Amino acid sequence: MITRRFALAAASLAAMVYAGAAAAQTPVTIGAIEILTGPNNKYGVAIKNGFDLALEEVNKAGGVLGAPLAIAYEDSAGNKDQALNAARQLIGGKKVPLILGPTLSNEMFAVGPIAVERKIPIVGTSTTANGITAIGPYVFRTSLPESDVVPVTLRTAKEKLGVKKVAVMYGNDDAFTKSGYDVMKAAIEKLGLETVTTETFGGKDTDFSAQLTKIKSLNPDAIVVSALVEAGAGILLAKKALGIPDSVRVIGGNGLNSPQVPLVAREAADGTLVGSPWFIDKPDAANQKFVADYKAKYNMDPDQFAAQAYDTLFIVAQAIKDAGAPNAEKIRDALGKVKHNGVMGPFSFTPDRDPADTSGVVVIEMKGGKFQILK
Amino acid sequence: MPEFLDDFLFTYQTLIYALGVNGLLALSMYVVLALGQLSLGQAAFMGLGAYVSALLTVKLGLPFPLVLLAAMLAPALAALCVGAPTLRLSGVYLALATIGLGEVQRIFFINSELTGGALGLSGIPTKGGLISIYGSLALALIAFAFVARSKIGRAMEAMREDELAAGALGVDLPAYKLGALVVSAMLAGLAGALNAHVSSFISPNDYGFDAAVTILSFALLGGIGSPFGPVLGAFILTLLPEVLRPLADYKTVVNGSIIVLAVIFMPRGLLAWRMGRAGAATGRPK
Amino acid sequence: MFAQQLVNGLVVGSTYALFALGFTLMFGVLGVINLTYGFYLSVGAFLALFATQHGVSIWLALPLAALASGCVAVLIDGLLLTPLRRAKAPELASLMVTLGATLLLYSLANAALSTDIRRFPPGVIDANALEIAGIRITMTQCLIIAAAGIIVSVLLWVMNGARIGLGLRALAERPDAAALMGVNAGALVRLVSLASGTLAGASGVLIGLNYNAIQPYMGEVMMLKGFAVIILGGLGDIRGALVAGLVVGMLETLTAGYVASSWKDAVGFVLLVLTLWIRPSGLFGRLAVKRA
Repeated sequence: MITRRFALAAASLAAMVYAGAAAAQTPVTIGAIEILTGPNNKYGVAIKNGFDLALEEVNKAGGVLGAPLAIAYEDSAGNKDQALNAARQLIGGKKVPLILGPTLSNEMFAVGPIAVERKIPIVGTSTTANGITAIGPYVFRTSLPESDVVPVTLRTAKEKLGVKKVAVMYGNDDAFTKSGYDVMKAAIEKLGLETVTTETFGGKDTDFSAQLTKIKSLNPDAIVVSALVEAGAGILLAKKALGIPDSVRVIGGNGLNSPQVPLVAREAADGTLVGSPWFIDKPDAANQKFVADYKAKYNMDPDQFAAQAYDTLFIVAQAIKDAGAPNAEKIRDALGKVKHNGVMGPFSFTPDRDPADTSGVVVIEMKGGKFQILK
Repeated sequence: MPEFLDDFLFTYQTLIYALGVNGLLALSMYVVLALGQLSLGQAAFMGLGAYVSALLTVKLGLPFPLVLLAAMLAPALAALCVGAPTLRLSGVYLALATIGLGEVQRIFFINSELTGGALGLSGIPTKGGLISIYGSLALALIAFAFVARSKIGRAMEAMREDELAAGALGVDLPAYKLGALVVSAMLAGLAGALNAHVSSFISPNDYGFDAAVTILSFALLGGIGSPFGPVLGAFILTLLPEVLRPLADYKTVVNGSIIVLAVIFMPRGLLAWRMGRAGAATGRPK
Repeated sequence: MFAQQLVNGLVVGSTYALFALGFTLMFGVLGVINLTYGFYLSVGAFLALFATQHGVSIWLALPLAALASGCVAVLIDGLLLTPLRRAKAPELASLMVTLGATLLLYSLANAALSTDIRRFPPGVIDANALEIAGIRITMTQCLIIAAAGIIVSVLLWVMNGARIGLGLRALAERPDAAALMGVNAGALVRLVSLASGTLAGASGVLIGLNYNAIQPYMGEVMMLKGFAVIILGGLGDIRGALVAGLVVGMLETLTAGYVASSWKDAVGFVLLVLTLWIRPSGLFGRLAVKRA
């Protein structure tokens, strides 16, 4: 426990240095639960980077309520029990008035009910599964759920590429890819597209030849895929090896929206189509500044997780200011009314605590190993 | 309840429940190991108990004691199906068959609409608590302590030490082995049901091979000289990553090392102490 | 389409067989279920990956990486299993020790290498598929099928025909008696470990080439399928491992192609459970295991 108290002290100290005049004040500390270690830590680290960058700006501008803002980080390591313990620590021990995170939808399903029970607002920045905000009236999310992004992607494919017949493939052993599939299925029906077959695979599978051979024989216009990077890259490779023509596009969910895909699938990844709530080359000034600052601070490109986290911290800081006190109930009420214009586009919450505006969604395609906006 | 105590219980609630549940799981492993057998299906039995109990509570609203009973009977049945053909063969068959059981079950949970697929079941009402978890653990411990001192206990010990000799002395080997596996499955199922009713959310991947191996490391750390060893082992391995946070990242390294070291250097377990019974070695059944 | 599915099944089946051969050989002669076996597959794949990244030809990297994996197998066997053999520990002790070691080895490999999947550098092997009468097959896939066939023939010849096979079989049947009859048990144990580790490493390289998904846990995934294959084929039965591997791979592919892909992964384990119920000695029926 000592190490953590020390970490908190260090975080507060850093916040005080930035806050200058407000340094004498005790900081307003909010909690964050992210995957900072373990195999999936790339998501959590990007999110933390996004938070920290925004935190710096908030505190430079005078902090909140006349005091600096600070974040007490807890590591979930991608394990839902550890996420649960972390939430209990933050709520019962540190008494934070708000929690950011956790990283995965699965973790949110475990942690959300605890926050609701204790009436502490909890804001997911990367939880895209269905039913997240239905956990209870204190659960918010700033990430566009797949149900807002996927229909845009499919509609664009239908309108711009003339896709009418699709084959569907999804990973059925993972909550993320399964709920992505549920969304795809609904969107396909709504757009009146024909589904020639629906095939499943396991997240750790490497062989997809049986499913793709079947799909090839049915001649679809496109293959709609809900997969994480590993399986997604494998599918793209097998598709090429089995000689399915390049004109048959792979349309992916958020799982394929990753720079890792072309690293493995190489030229087989070309033509992949995904929708994204954010895109690094978005031309507006706010986004250009964010990308430049992020590169300067961390010496790497930001991804969508960092962008979502960056916007979220401003939204939360605004809500704390509007609430007038670091009080959970007041912050929750204020959150519902926040309007913010960030790197993802205009933002506000729906009455159900989901993002209200989907105008920021862009459809991007892979070309020569890089995503670019679909013309 | 004073506020600080309330906060304390809230903060450490997950941990306190996990200690009890893992204690029960360690005991379930102990029953099988005590006969010199190895099951890698403890996580599967736990998952079966968790799913059966959660479905009965959520879909049918049955009373909790009845739900717990069903959560013990379902894995018992699974244990009979796997144990009956394999326990006649050498020990590796049971180990491999229980791995197979776990995989088939996981694929079933993933594919079935009833069990919510990969998304799992959420919104399971909180019915368990300190009393049901630690009450079950205490009852199981007392029962095992009595059994260990009885004729059955001596027969079990004889089998572990020298199976052939025990068989020659008239111990009904297959019956003992199957009985132990069934009892073990029931305990694991109970642990699964209690856990499902305090954590509100279960999913198929919680009960995989990794979980099975973790349960084994509980028992091997504590040693199988007495039923108290495995429970202590479970307590230590559950608390360790919480007390020493940096260790949490290396949980699998720690668990793995414990298994290796325990088998090679300390076949009786790192914390083995024997039940206070003089002349254990001479107490062989007639 | 049916012909293509048969070829798909043959490739998957050969992969399983290739993997299961060394696994079952280890059990057949040494009498242990060595769960670290899958790890040697990952070792082979990564060593070949690093070598080819430094410009070594795949035709040189493949045998070297395979042999190196074999040496790792000998080392681990010597560290973990030899002390148990000496102490005449029960067979489950060796199963447990390798289980713990697997956990340890994978988490260390994961920490050192990360779980990101990797791929051989472009052009290490001709990746273009041949198309014969509408059926597509790649060079790597032909290699896998050929390797499975050749290795089985060699192993069967060694075990049944060659002089060294006599010693191996003696060791498998009665280790103590074999020692009395002048069989150098220690050397044979090392030889078998080397051979099966080499087989695991070679199949790791070939699987890595075929699926382009090299990551530390690749061996663990194969391992679960491997259990089903060696039980179906009969523990310790080399011919059985080949046939069972092909059967499982073919049935999986046909299930995915014509029934439902969601049940594909269940095929192997359903066969495992059925085998245990109906015919625990496996396809070819010789019970290679001494009863407990």
